[in-house]
Amino acid sequence: MNQLYDLAVGPLTWLAIGVFVIGSLYRLAAMYAMAKKKDGPYLTYMSWRFSLRSIMHWITPFGSLGWKENPALTIVTFIFHICLILVPIFLMSHIVLWDQFKGISYPALPDGAADLMSVAVILACLYFIWRRVSDPTVKFVTSCQDWTVLILVLLTFCTGFLSYHQIGSSLVMTTLHILCGEAMLIAIPFTRLSHMIFGLFTRAYIGSEFGNVRKARDW
Amino acid sequence: MLKKSLMLLAVAAVSLCFFGPAAFSQEDMKNVPNEVFGAPRRPAAVFPHDAHNEKAQIEDCAVCHHGGKDGKMDKEDMTAGTACVECHPVAGAPGQTSLMRAFHKQCVGCHLERKAGPVACGQCHVNK
Repeated sequence: MNQLYDLAVGPLTWLAIGVFVIGSLYRLAAMYAMAKKKDGPYLTYMSWRFSLRSIMHWITPFGSLGWKENPALTIVTFIFHICLILVPIFLMSHIVLWDQFKGISYPALPDGAADLMSVAVILACLYFIWRRVSDPTVKFVTSCQDWTVLILVLLTFCTGFLSYHQIGSSLVMTTLHILCGEAMLIAIPFTRLSHMIFGLFTRAYIGSEFGNVRKARDW
Repeated sequence: MLKKSLMLLAVAAVSLCFFGPAAFSQEDMKNVPNEVFGAPRRPAAVFPHDAHNEKAQIEDCAVCHHGGKDGKMDKEDMTAGTACVECHPVAGAPGQTSLMRAFHKQCVGCHLERKAGPVACGQCHVNK
């Protein structure tokens, strides 16, 4: 098990980060080339003003009609994404690993706050699972891949929570946690998690088209 | 005068026999001391000094108690008796590895290298 941990914190970490960075750049370049080929004229109406206007409305809770439609989903979605991004970056245990292996250190979240935020992510995942099962419309558009990425996030945060609270074997739980996290990083460019790289561009594209062509709001 | 000196020497020799082992042995050591961190966010790392070294077959103190100069570690220079924090300040500085990083690198680094011993956070920083 020590060897698996060694592999997970060593070569597999760099493999995961490499696949995430190179894969994301490749997907962005491929998407740009495809958009240019299929919808060349869009380049003429892309605008910073309409792009940012759309992004600002959709990044604000209840800032768009879409967010007003289902308040519960909106609240859960915002809490989920904020915690999902902040906890892995600012968790003390993660910063300690950066410090140990690379000598990089920066301020961490208080343990209690990080713990609460992790629980929030786990509860949000359960809500999303329930929604995918119970809402016929959502169920209809749910594919195997949606389940995979949702379970991956849930497993990563559950194993992280259990490691922190030292429930079960620390070595096994921590190793599983690291492997799940790496799988999640690798999945970003190639699954629906790619909305992490495309999200802002999608809004910029739609915002510009609505603002410059349709002369309408997109929020 | 000579008699007095001999007497003093004898007292010193006897007290060394009695108190010497206690002064040099780390038999009572169960954790890596962490008081120097002020308000540590994790429990002190489990470390029964003598049992650990017996199990790991470490006889040379300098394996852990190393010396160093100008930011370079010197494994030949034995520094047992000098507090780690004297060379590894709590807040690291250029050319000086921080105390926490020194501990983590020393313990986990060796355990990973030897493929034995605890490596995950909760294995050493055991919650009470």
